[in-house]
Amino acid sequence: MNTTRNSQLEEEFFELVCYMVTSARNLISETRLYGPLRLVESVSRLIDIIQGLGLESPRFQAIQRQIEEGKNTVMESEEKFTAFLENLVMALVSMMEERKEKAHRS
Amino acid sequence: MEVWEAIQGRRSIRAFKPDPIPEELLRNLILHAAIWAPTGGNAQTWRFAVVTDPNLIRKIKMVSPGLSRTPPAVIAVCQDLDEVQKRAGELGSRTLALMDTAMAAENIMLAAYAEGLGTCPIASFHAGAVRQILRLPAGILPQLLISLGCPAARAQAPKRNAEVMWFNEHH
Repeated sequence: MNTTRNSQLEEEFFELVCYMVTSARNLISETRLYGPLRLVESVSRLIDIIQGLGLESPRFQAIQRQIEEGKNTVMESEEKFTAFLENLVMALVSMMEERKEKAHRS
Repeated sequence: MEVWEAIQGRRSIRAFKPDPIPEELLRNLILHAAIWAPTGGNAQTWRFAVVTDPNLIRKIKMVSPGLSRTPPAVIAVCQDLDEVQKRAGELGSRTLALMDTAMAAENIMLAAYAEGLGTCPIASFHAGAVRQILRLPAGILPQLLISLGCPAARAQAPKRNAEVMWFNEHH
């Protein structure tokens, strides 16, 4: 990896680190549901960086799409936000199973 | 624009087009909207840091978890704490300054909406970090950030609870 790309990548990770650390500080006094919101937002930002690295991953794309479509339900109701997170976890499990099945077949 | 339309049409917008906002319009939002808000004891201790430099906005975003996308402008609504203490005493420091900030912010957001801009108030940020990034003097405390820009998407209005009012005695 060349020096410019390395420095750019380091900056992208640094931005994510700043976001996560500031979130940790602020969450001490923020709305309880903002904790899980900041976590899934961090995942989405991490996937942005991973994709920027050129790693093609339909799984990560699907996870990010699901996060971006559902994260704002936190503003609507705790029930909807919880359902969104529950569905996200179950989607991860399906992805695990698919991967396992593929490995088994090959 | 009718004031009723602005009040009911304004939404919190979190996705913006990259188009810059003319400086004169940003100036008007402060000088013809924000500072015309009510202010406890006519203290007028609010201060406004208008940020349009993309590099500064990027840094602010790094310490503002509530700022989810990158807007072309951010206004930090601040209070001059020394002035608050001098002009409004303990009540001012504890309560009135925050109320003044909120009322000025609402004026900014309604006027911005009338000008076709989207806004979002953001309380989730680190005040000390923003103060340092913007080189604000020690006595100036950022209390609320407002992101501004041309909306990239229309937001739905969350359902309103109308069961919040009574006339005269509570029953």
